[in-house]
Amino acid sequence: MATSMTRTFGALRSVTCSSLKNAELALDVRHPGPLFLPVRTKKRYFIPPAVGLKGKKEENPEAKARAAGIVFRQQYFERPINIACSAGVFDPYIPPEGDARLSTLSKEGLKQRTEQIRQSATSQLAIRKIKEHDSEFSTKTFAEQAQEIFVEAHNALTHFNREKLHSLVTERCYPEMTRGNRYKTIRWRFVESLEPPRVVHARCPDMVTKGNLYGQVTVRMHSKQTIAIYDRFGRLMLGSEEQPKDVLEYLVIERHLINPYSRWRLHGKIVPSWAPPKDPVIKTVAIPGPELNPWEEYDALNYKVPKPASVQWNK
Amino acid sequence: MAAAMRGVAFIRNIVGSLHLRLQILGGASQQLSCLHTSISLDSKHWEKNNLKVYPPQLLDEPRRPAEVYHSRRQIKYSKDKMWYLAKMIRGMSIDEAIAQLEFNDKKGAKIMKEVLLEAQEMAVKNHNVEYKSNLYVAESFSGKGKYLKRIRYHGRGMFGIMDKVYCHYFVKLVEGLPPKPEQMTSFDQAKDYVQSLKNRTIIHSL
Repeated sequence: MATSMTRTFGALRSVTCSSLKNAELALDVRHPGPLFLPVRTKKRYFIPPAVGLKGKKEENPEAKARAAGIVFRQQYFERPINIACSAGVFDPYIPPEGDARLSTLSKEGLKQRTEQIRQSATSQLAIRKIKEHDSEFSTKTFAEQAQEIFVEAHNALTHFNREKLHSLVTERCYPEMTRGNRYKTIRWRFVESLEPPRVVHARCPDMVTKGNLYGQVTVRMHSKQTIAIYDRFGRLMLGSEEQPKDVLEYLVIERHLINPYSRWRLHGKIVPSWAPPKDPVIKTVAIPGPELNPWEEYDALNYKVPKPASVQWNK
Repeated sequence: MAAAMRGVAFIRNIVGSLHLRLQILGGASQQLSCLHTSISLDSKHWEKNNLKVYPPQLLDEPRRPAEVYHSRRQIKYSKDKMWYLAKMIRGMSIDEAIAQLEFNDKKGAKIMKEVLLEAQEMAVKNHNVEYKSNLYVAESFSGKGKYLKRIRYHGRGMFGIMDKVYCHYFVKLVEGLPPKPEQMTSFDQAKDYVQSLKNRTIIHSL
């Protein structure tokens, strides 16, 4: 009985399978066949890639790739160091207070003007060292050269000429000048120089090894400049193009003395502690309020906005 | 016979002219289709809109409103479900949009709110937007991300290919007040209707 049942079932199935197969061949339709018996199944033409990955995480793909013949480049765990410029301003010049306030004709003004660089001994030593390595250096001509470098560097900044800017400005100063400026338009103009530039300070630090000399010379210049910065959409952010401002600046120019192909480049600026505050940005900025405990209330009348401490800093 | 011949020739002429027109159209589309050949799957075009720099404005020009483009890629959510939320906040001011999304129960609402807050912060920090509330949602839409494929097991040894859906969400914030949609009063609608009736022309009339 059972055998006859299975035989009939088998016969039925074979008949249905054959009929199905004929239909499929006629219509050229591909779909997997049903699995009742261990009959030869239809080939699966598409298996999504995630099927085989369920338990196989032992093989690492790196070994497989290397076996396949892919060559990996050697990994260097190094950090690049730049030796073409030093990391900051060493022993910065402290400008005397009221440097530009007094007119040249008064007695105090004359005293200040006659204050020669010869008073500082370390500066003299440094200048002598610089003259050893760079024979063409002279304090009288260098100030003019420094001003030219300054003007050219800022012109390159307005046109954003990267190669020229790198040759006029050290690697430490470059990100300070260009950070955030990439998608902004800067218009800068050097109107005139109010006083002839003067060398006020010089230092010759040596980094890491004894003979690795860098020369840093500080130049004081008083000039008229206009600056206008426009943001991404062409709206004025800072300054104005018509109104020139009197600017007293202390520039630090640096050169890697040992390298015969090095050049004098702008390294930074010194901002004295008594410098007047800059013009505000054309924008309302929210100053964060005081940190309050949950039971306290904000008292607008008694709260004073904290002013930043007036410290000399190098830019 | 002669009429039939003429008729056939007439039909042939029409077919010929149609062929010519189709060829011209095809040629034009060939020239135009080269505009679309450069887009690949990895290109992030929406974010590149943030890098466009305009020349400085002259004093008499009206102040150009700031535009900020932001997006989030490969969000684990359906693009069709995300579309409902994107359509909801189109044209709203940013505060209103954030408020609506905060109290919406959908999964995509939380992600969208994060995207809007990120975009607002970016606008204030990087794109010189003065007031963070002075923004509105100009464009907001969702797109299909790259799907993962899995097997969904059916009975009788059958299977289906299941897509694990991902979507991208794009938003553009513009500075200023949101534009008010023009309200058509009933009188204006009636006027338009009467005008359309009057504009009708009767061809081949005296």
